[in-house]
Parts: sequence; C-alpha cells; structure tokens
Amino acid sequence: MASLIIAAALAFWKPYVLVEGIQRSSLYAMIALPMALVLGIVGIVNLAHGEFMMLGAYFAYWLNVHFGMDPFVAMFPAFLAFAAIGVVTYLTTIKYVLGAPELSQLLLTFGLAMILQQLANLAWTSQPLKAHLGYVSASAAIGSFSFGIFEFVYLAAAILLLGGLLFFLKYTRLGQAALAVGQNPRGAKLVGIHVDRTYLLVFGISIALVGAIGAIFMTRHSIFPLVGGAFTLKSFCLIAMAGMGNLIGIVTYSLILGLSESLVLSLRGYAGWADIIFFTLIAGVIILRSYQRQVR
Amino acid sequence: MELKKAVFIYTAFFALLSGFGVAGAVAAEPIKLGAVYPLGDITGDQGVKAMKLAVKEINDAGGLLGRPVELIVIDDEMKPEKGSAAIEKLATVDKVDVFVGGMASGVLLAQIPIMKKYQTVTVWTGAAYGGCEKALGPDATWFFHLHPWDYQQGESYVEGWDAITKKFPQVKMAKQFWAYEEGAFGTGSFKASKLLFKNADIEGESFKSAAAGGGDYRAVLRHAKEFSPELFIWVGFGADALPFMEQSKEIDFNPSIFLGSPPGWPSDFGKSPLADGVTLYGMWAPSIKEVSPVSKHFWDAYNKMFKEAPATYFAPLAYTNVMFVAAGIKKAGTLKKEALIKALEETKYASPLGETLTIKPSNIIKHQGFTKQKILQWQNGVQQVIWPFEYATAKIAYPFPNWKKR
Repeated sequence: MASLIIAAALAFWKPYVLVEGIQRSSLYAMIALPMALVLGIVGIVNLAHGEFMMLGAYFAYWLNVHFGMDPFVAMFPAFLAFAAIGVVTYLTTIKYVLGAPELSQLLLTFGLAMILQQLANLAWTSQPLKAHLGYVSASAAIGSFSFGIFEFVYLAAAILLLGGLLFFLKYTRLGQAALAVGQNPRGAKLVGIHVDRTYLLVFGISIALVGAIGAIFMTRHSIFPLVGGAFTLKSFCLIAMAGMGNLIGIVTYSLILGLSESLVLSLRGYAGWADIIFFTLIAGVIILRSYQRQVR
Repeated sequence: MELKKAVFIYTAFFALLSGFGVAGAVAAEPIKLGAVYPLGDITGDQGVKAMKLAVKEINDAGGLLGRPVELIVIDDEMKPEKGSAAIEKLATVDKVDVFVGGMASGVLLAQIPIMKKYQTVTVWTGAAYGGCEKALGPDATWFFHLHPWDYQQGESYVEGWDAITKKFPQVKMAKQFWAYEEGAFGTGSFKASKLLFKNADIEGESFKSAAAGGGDYRAVLRHAKEFSPELFIWVGFGADALPFMEQSKEIDFNPSIFLGSPPGWPSDFGKSPLADGVTLYGMWAPSIKEVSPVSKHFWDAYNKMFKEAPATYFAPLAYTNVMFVAAGIKKAGTLKKEALIKALEETKYASPLGETLTIKPSNIIKHQGFTKQKILQWQNGVQQVIWPFEYATAKIAYPFPNWKKR
C-alpha cells in the first residue's frame, strides 16, 4: 500500500522519475536474476557474471554487424552458444571448487572475469562499440510529458525471466530437483537426485540467460571489455539485500534501488549521491537483517 | 710454398671480407626510436601504424645519417606502471636514441621520474594534463611536448568560438550547459572552462559515464533541457557518445550547438544518422587532406599501407612525431644530445595536421609544439573543420538539426 502511495506521489510530482526508475530497476533485476539462481542452487558467487553478459553483447553485436541480425533475434543463438560456454566453464573450472572454501571460489570466478576481460580486449580492443538501432530512441508523450519507451523492454524481460524461473523451479521435475539440491544437497543425493548434473544444468542455464541478456543490453549500451564489471557488483549487492535464492526479493529490491537512484538523479546537482544512496540502502538492509536474526 | 701462398691468399681474402662485414655492420647499426603507446586503444594502434609508415618512408629514402631507422614499440596498456617499466626497458635493454609516442597523462606522470633519470631526448605526442608539465619542470630541456596542454586547449576553444561568433553572428553560445563525467577528467574540464568562458552563463552537472558503470544520461539531459542552453557540451568518454545522442533524441532535447568532448570517438560514430551536426574538438580531421598536400600524402600512404583509414588525430600526430625527430637528426648531423636538442628547437616541420610544427616555450617547459585544438563538426558522416578558418573545410551547420525534423 505504502509503495503504491509513493508511486502515485512520484507519478504526480515527477512522472519521469517513476518511468525511468522502473526501467532502471528492470535492467538491474534482469541482470541479477541469473546470478541469484546460481548462488541459490549451486552456492557459488559468480564474479564473472557481468563478463559473460559482456561476451553475450559482443556476440550479438557481431551477429548484427556481419549478418544484419537484430539483437532481439540474436539473443536466441546467444542463449544456445552461452549454454554451451556455461557447460564447458562448469566442467573445466567451477566443478572443482564446489567443496572448496568460499575464498577459493571467489578467486576462481574473479580470475575467470579477468581472463574474459582480457580475451575481449585482445579480440575487440578497448574501443567502445555501439550498434546503430533507430528504435532505441522511441518515445511517447502523455500531454506535455514525453518519455522513452524502449527501456520497457527490460521490464518485459525481467517479468518473463522471473515468471519463467519461478515456473521452472516450482512446476518442472528438473526445477524441483534443482530447488531440492539448493536447499539440501546431501538430502537430495540420498533421494536419488544427481547433484552434480543439477549443478551443471543450473550453471549452464544461468550463463545461457546472461548471454542472451547481453544481446538485450547492447541495444542501448556501448560495449567494451570492462562494461560487465559494474553490473556484477550491482547484482551481487541486490542478492545480498534479497537473501540467497530469493528471486522475488531481487525484483523488489531492484525496484527500491532503481526508484531511489532515479529520484536522487532528478534533483539537480545531486547526481553524485546516487551511488551513496545505493550502498547506504544495501548496508542498511544487511544491518537490519542481521539485527532481526539476533533478536529472533 | 704453393700451399703457404694459398693459405695466405685465403686468409687475406677472409680477413678482408670479415673486415668489410664489421665495417658494414657498424654502418648498418640502426638509429633506434623507442615508442610507448596503448596498443589496445585506437590512439595507440593507429599511432604505431603511422610511425611505421614514417619509418618506412625514411628508410626508403636512405635512412638517417647513412643508417636505417628502427622503431621499437612497447604496449603500456594505458597503465602507469607498465608505461614506466617500458621507459626503463627502452633505456637500458634496447638503448634507444630517442623516446617517442605517448598518449595518457596518467601514464606520463608515472614515466617522468624514469625519464628524468636517463634524460634521453623525448618527443611526446600525448598528455594534455597540465600537472605533467609541473612534474617535468623547467629544466627538462630534453623533453619536447607536441600535444597542447589542457589550458592551451581551453584558450583555443575560447579563441575559436569568439572567431566563429564574430564571423557568423547568428551563432549564439553565451548560455552553456556542461554535462561532465564525475571523474577527474570531466570535473577538471568543467572547472577550467568555467574560468575561461568568463562572459558566458554556464551551468553544469556531473553524470556517471558508461566507462564507470553508468550509461543513463536522461536525468542530466532533462536538466539541460530545462536550462534551455544555446550550447550543450558533454565531457565524457567514447562509450558515452552514441547513447548520449540516442537519449537526447528520446527526450527531444535540441540545443543550438550540440558538442561532444571525449578524448577519442568510437570509430563508427560518424556512420550513425544521429551524428549529423554534432560539434567536436580535435587536432585533425580527415577532411584536412582537401586543403593540405602533406595531409593528403599521409592519408593516401596510410590507407595504402594498412588498408584502413586513420580515424584518430593520434595517427597524423604520431607520423609527425617520427618525421619531426628525423628532421632534427638530419639537421643536427649527429645523435649527440645537445646538438639534437638545438636542432629540434630550430626545426620547422609542415605536418599532416595542417599546421607547421615549431617549438616554443609553454608556461613551464621550454619545448612545446602544437598549442591549438580545432573545432570540427560531423556533417554527412564526415568530420569537417570549421575553425581555424585557414584550414576550414566547411561552414558551421547551425543550429543543430531538430530531432523531429530529421
């Protein structure tokens, strides 16, 4: 109820804060959801998450430039290609650190991120690339208020992704098995679930999704080897706020963060505060959760 | 006896041959130029190619002082620590005669202490940050800086816009909005320009560049639109270029002059229809080849050798760098430091950038080359020079075309 009142107040006061805040939130949620899936089920923080998205963006850009393929079509081959890349990555690296201390897991995925960045640097140099797509500037107007409509694509993608993942986890045998493995791998193994294969499947799906998301991302953003790093950090922060594996929580907190950032940016001269608000909110939520746990 | 005679003849023959060999080796000892550039960046990539072209032309014409010229290139990856290590290696392992190249100011700042240690003659293409000049100090007589310093660039913009508004009175730019990236580059540029454009009504706001994880410029663009400026300028990086235009179109923001000031533009920016009418600053534009024979020669030779077009002013600047050093060595007739410095001070080189390169003191150092940037504009996918008027290839397109009328 409070959220609706705030949204209505924003829509009345500064409608573009609401529109652009929702669009910004959707981008964050869309990118963070596959990372949350891996952390919730496989139990590993993939610090190369943003780099896989960056490679997906380059892949879609390449298909666009050389074959004239629209990025929204290119996301399908990207999904398949990155599913394969995810499987190979899991089998050659991730698999071997699942039982290792968390620091080793973090170091491994951090190393992967560095390798992917440097590979991209070698292949495409650090020069930014941007596809020329006329439709990304599409706008609409309600009275004197004009706003961009293209970024609602992020909202649609985030809703589809959330719905799809929830459906997969709750209503399919594979998804239920994945959920069981995420909750209690030993118990899942005892009842006959192939834990390693489940991890492989979930990691593959996550990388496939983030590769396809890269195709959507490159429609509106310039791409360069370091473009993914900031989104890994934001995704990780959102997961820390929402709690491991809480997909609906990711969307909720994305909305809070996106709207807060948009509100701060709308105040002239306070743009530099957006990051401060972002990290203050994260710190606040984590401290509050910790306090609640202690009280219980 | 016959055997002794034969041994003597063979020995004498081989001694003579080997003597010639040694003498030949001495004569063929190359003059070494040690270049440091970020090869992953278009500035470094094309800068090195242009240097290779210059070296080839010099060697094809018989070299310098009867010796061939060799270019040794090290990639600094735009990292200060790699840049300083590169200078150390060029000085101690490769033992180069002259340091050339250079792009980022941050890298040069780290290289300066190493350069000061060896005091090898250095002719540098990069670094606009005035702090580098302070770090060099007035005693660095071995250092020749070709790129204008930041304050010189600012002064040239003021001079250029003054000239444009006088010649074309319809051009107005007294009300300016600056959107600048929140790092040192953007903030520094805004502060410096606010001091330079004293008579202008200037507002500014920072934004998060795509290079730092941003990419949504709509808030700052809306604020600019509310201010209704005659000149809108964004100071950011190449990754911001096209998204800035797309989002300006999205919110229908139409200032009379739309100016972008990144250190380097994406190579395909001009291919976008949104680029038309965007004004920019730079030392060179491909269209200068229409008014400068040296530039035309450089353009044709570069295209022929590399099957690509130079897309950054660092290409003609790097070519100028090597040619200027070569002219200095020829004039000095020796590689001895004092003689070479004196010769470089007196050298005048008609460069493909348009201007003739001559050396004068700047605020601190004694050897400053170019002092001006040019005002350019994208027109029909081509960068045209609109100021200085002596190199102008087109008139300013004014006002910036309205998004709805495109």
